[in-house]
Amino acid sequence: MISMSSILSSRSGLILFFLCLVPLATAYLDQGDYLLRICSTAYLYMLLALGLNVVTGFTGLLDLGYVGFYLIGGYTAGLLMARLGWSYWTALPVAAIHGGIWGLLRGAPTLRLTGDYFAIVTFGFSELLFRIVKNEEWLIGGPNGFVNDIPAPTLFGYELWQYWQQYYHILILLILTLLVVYRLHNSRIGRAWQAISQDEEAAQTMGINLHEYKSLAFAISAAIGAIGGAFFAQFQVNISAGVFEFWESILILCMIVLGGIGTLKGALIGAAILGSLGEVLRIALSWMRLPADSRYLIFGVILVLMMRFRPAGILRSTQKSP
Amino acid sequence: MDIDPLLEITDLTKNFGGVVALAQVDLRVMPGQIASLIGPNGAGKTTLFNCVTGLMAPTTGKISFQQQDIFGTSAHKVAMNGIARTFQNIRLFSEMTVLDNVRIGCHTQSRGYLWSAISRNRAYREEELQITTDAQELLQFVNLDNFATQIAGNLSYGDQRRLEIARALATNPKLLLLDEPAAGMNPRETNDLIALIRSIRERNITVFLIEHDMKLVMRISEWITVLDYGQKISQGPPEMVQSDPRVIEAYLGQSAGSNH
Repeated sequence: MISMSSILSSRSGLILFFLCLVPLATAYLDQGDYLLRICSTAYLYMLLALGLNVVTGFTGLLDLGYVGFYLIGGYTAGLLMARLGWSYWTALPVAAIHGGIWGLLRGAPTLRLTGDYFAIVTFGFSELLFRIVKNEEWLIGGPNGFVNDIPAPTLFGYELWQYWQQYYHILILLILTLLVVYRLHNSRIGRAWQAISQDEEAAQTMGINLHEYKSLAFAISAAIGAIGGAFFAQFQVNISAGVFEFWESILILCMIVLGGIGTLKGALIGAAILGSLGEVLRIALSWMRLPADSRYLIFGVILVLMMRFRPAGILRSTQKSP
Repeated sequence: MDIDPLLEITDLTKNFGGVVALAQVDLRVMPGQIASLIGPNGAGKTTLFNCVTGLMAPTTGKISFQQQDIFGTSAHKVAMNGIARTFQNIRLFSEMTVLDNVRIGCHTQSRGYLWSAISRNRAYREEELQITTDAQELLQFVNLDNFATQIAGNLSYGDQRRLEIARALATNPKLLLLDEPAAGMNPRETNDLIALIRSIRERNITVFLIEHDMKLVMRISEWITVLDYGQKISQGPPEMVQSDPRVIEAYLGQSAGSNH
């Protein structure tokens, strides 16, 4: 039971097998690359949703600024690769660690905060970062960012820039992240996080050091966000401030709410739906001559309907009593 | 006395702004005892528990546990040192399973951290197995082993009280503080509770409880401390406290007590 990871259980294995076959199938389609792009974007959002879920789902603290770590990861990897010529494979872990450090730094003053107060600090943090990257011209190019400056990662001498390569790249990152988060969730650390989310004082009387375990969640969550950012930087080739607006945090939050907050499956399903829907809507809306940003209206309607009909998420959390 | 007290509180004061919740309280709990803290509502009993367990910072005074100063120590360190507690208004992790509630209690008894959790190495597997075995043993001890997979919040009131005790015992305490364990229990459940408290003591755990049910208190306590308006007004074995005029006065009002 506990010793057997669900990742390796037969049903998950089967799903994974089919996901690996997707690029073979799309190779025969006209719009194959477009489809792969949608899938890769969805996987990227699934990774981000898993990361946000560590803080907001597991420890129960509402994080409204998760995009800040995505930004840090993206710009760290972008800078290291485009300006210093680092390889992606060293830039990626450095970006993750850099994100994790900022997770701790942002966490330190918020350790005593809960609820709305915590949420406001997280919002302020990401907004601050957004303003900085938008206005800093000398190093990171201001509002335009890096334009076509970020080289593709290379593996054994091959440049990984094709869509099917990116597809496997993000799929592997997603699976590794899922493995780590799943195992943490089902460990002494995960139990401590759950205890904190339900009753901080009772958790303390069980010997759980609140500051230590919250900081751990902040750092891990932030590092995952930064990994997503680093992938995104090379995926887009160019990276600019506009991507990291506040709405992006809300979108990722909506994903874990949609799926069922606090559960891994919920985060994955919510992100798969909203992540791919975003890409599809971008095209569909431009057909209808509506501005691309009006997709947020549709996300809003979905959330309102969810709150009305399935407040506990598409997958009702099995932990919760009805 | 040649044995050192397990818990020794000297001159403990706790102020909330201008309100004095505890005023220079002196109190001792000897190892192996079943001791009680009684007093009318608002006497400061739970405040005293909160100060001992680190959930509240006491204002002045001295608290030592096993001859070590624990005044103002944070709650998780107090738990690690060997003091566990339950709450007056049950505070289980109500959305988690019964077994997981007790497994969280095993936090003090385990060391697993990032690497062992992610790699699931042998140390992790052995520790998880140990935690689960211990938790199941404790559930058996409080007679809840048939409910292990249920959600804690769905248990009956009396069962939740016993689960909270099992969760506290999982931290492997030397001193167990019970805050009104019999509240809301029927007479049969109260009898079971008395048996349970006695068997806890047989596990070499000292029990210190707050309780309003005087029958229970008089039946199991070896030492009773009485608080009223934050002050200690009496202490001693049950027979002595029961006949103390100051105690009778505190509970029944001035006319019932003798003037002093």
